[in-house]
Amino acid sequence: MAYRPRKILKSREYNREWNEWALKGNWSPVGWRWIEGPTGYRLDQLSKGNYLIIQRPHGSLYHHSYGLLSKFFKGFIEKKLYGAKCPRCKAVFCPPRAHCWNPECKVQRTEWVELPMKGEVFTFSVMAFSATPFLKTLPFIITYIRVEGCCTTLPTRILQVNPWEVYPGLKVNLHFIDNPKGEIMDIYCTPAEKPDPSKFIMSKEEIERLKEDMKKVKNWVIRKFGSEAQPSIEI
Amino acid sequence: MARRVAVVGGGISRFDLPRYELQEEMCAEAIHEMLMDTPGIDYPRDVDAVIYSYFSDHLEEQLCFHWIIHDYLGLLPKPAYRVESGGATPVDAIINAFMFIKSGIFNNVLVVGFEKMSELDTPKVNEFIAAASDTDFDFPVGGYYSGYYAALEVRHMFLYGETVEDLASIAVKNHNNATFNPYSQWRSQHGTSYIGVDEVLDSRLIAWPYRLLNCAMISDGAACIMLTNEENAKKYTDAPVWITGVGLGTDTMRPGDRVDNPMYKGLYLKDESIYPDVATKPAAPYPEMANFGSIRVSGDAAYKMAGIDNPLKQLDLAELFNPYDGVELVEYEDLRFCKRGEGKNLVREGVTEWGGELPCQVSGAHTAAGHPVGATSIAQAVQIYWQLTGLTAKKWGTKARALSDAKRGLLQGHGGTGCQSGVIIFEGG
Ligand SMILES: [Zn+2]
Repeated sequence: MAYRPRKILKSREYNREWNEWALKGNWSPVGWRWIEGPTGYRLDQLSKGNYLIIQRPHGSLYHHSYGLLSKFFKGFIEKKLYGAKCPRCKAVFCPPRAHCWNPECKVQRTEWVELPMKGEVFTFSVMAFSATPFLKTLPFIITYIRVEGCCTTLPTRILQVNPWEVYPGLKVNLHFIDNPKGEIMDIYCTPAEKPDPSKFIMSKEEIERLKEDMKKVKNWVIRKFGSEAQPSIEI
Repeated sequence: MARRVAVVGGGISRFDLPRYELQEEMCAEAIHEMLMDTPGIDYPRDVDAVIYSYFSDHLEEQLCFHWIIHDYLGLLPKPAYRVESGGATPVDAIINAFMFIKSGIFNNVLVVGFEKMSELDTPKVNEFIAAASDTDFDFPVGGYYSGYYAALEVRHMFLYGETVEDLASIAVKNHNNATFNPYSQWRSQHGTSYIGVDEVLDSRLIAWPYRLLNCAMISDGAACIMLTNEENAKKYTDAPVWITGVGLGTDTMRPGDRVDNPMYKGLYLKDESIYPDVATKPAAPYPEMANFGSIRVSGDAAYKMAGIDNPLKQLDLAELFNPYDGVELVEYEDLRFCKRGEGKNLVREGVTEWGGELPCQVSGAHTAAGHPVGATSIAQAVQIYWQLTGLTAKKWGTKARALSDAKRGLLQGHGGTGCQSGVIIFEGG
């Protein structure tokens, strides 16, 4: 008989109310509307149609394993940053991969190494809109960080910096949040040097436009979410 | 492999948000239009197999949607399956049909694409589309696709210096083209007046450098295209359009993994050498995060098959995958319309505008015609087919965007952040 233990070694248990939430809706209509709208396959050939629209919610709760990368995310909970090093080609991956992708390495298993909490910005964007889970924290800056010595770049957010002061090559320090949950958002970065204005990639005019945009986004988030709003950029 | 593959017809059910008709009803409208234009097709008897193209089970709130569509269209018990590869879904579906016919297994293959994205609010649609990024790494950071593509474009701007004004010029070109297109969402929502660079720069910031008018629309809609072998093509139409080249290519799932990618290292030495000193050279300088390797690979393969060595000269129009305007600019480089870093020159010189040497996105494409994912590239293929057969004026009700004497068109589509790409070359009789 193969080795098949399956026991919980350590956990932070989820509130079982989420089980109830995941059953919510259950695909049953909670409302309807009878509406008038256009029908027709081309704009110059439209006529009037009527449609019944129902509202139909359903939730779900996933139990997701991080597989062979589990040590990487468990490291976050312990506030340690790991990379995966290939013993054949010596490449260090962060984000890690459990098997090396180098054609010379024939899908070789990698080994864990601890990484320094520093690196540099490879590229970035200033987010003024987003997907549902992230709206409350708008506006924010996403970055792809090359952690020192690594051959891949890690998606993170950068804090404590004006959006126009971020540029490829900016040196950063990495930090863990106070209460890590075991996900990529447990780690973020801040500038490790004073940003050099000669390296800014936005024009002066564009920086002014961006400042206005940031104000607008911040007001929108505060209007929408009230005290739950957590805008990540201070202007 | 001497078998030739032809396009003999196509149809579009207009793109808009929302369309209240069901997915199968929009597909039926597109097919009906195709059959009116190509009456020689004895439908459904002449259809040997069907490839269905739609992207998201989450958006449709239905798995295996093509089973609903297939019987709705009266196509039982013919062979059919679904292709899914994010934004590359429709271009892959056409290439699947091409290979079916090329192999001799089937003579006539119908490709049907659709998407309905209006049933959820915009942030939720963004969330479900972002589920096509790595949900353990990129997704939780909150960039979603606008952010990933914006970060890629920032990298290209950093290396090669295009400006937000250049990106706005692309938006202006595509939106103004779409005002003539009676299948387009922009014309439905905005009307037929032109916009300028200021309207783009004044539109809401989404993810710097992208503003609302730089971004693909969220849309409902459907489209279909019929491919046949040479013998049948001559039966159905006097003006078949031939598929003379196809190509496929891939790049990493996570855009951040493209920096030192050993699989791309040394593949394109000329492009590696066009790398400015402002940046530390990564181990794989092309495509790294600035360009799209998958598009280069797929384009080169299609050019080789079609015997194209100077695409800018030999193509008469191109419909590209343009979820964000910087992508179109970078595609000019990756598809060899110009050298790496010179995409901005093509924009500034008007080369890809209506009346330019190689008009791109005459339909308006993703940001202006609309982007119901599974239908988009099929509709673009249909628009190319109409241009190459001289049907555009009739289909659009105006000559304003009808090319005269166009011989060769290129369709490019991709999924993810360029994780996979497909290119198809179409040639008129
Ligand atoms: Zn290796």
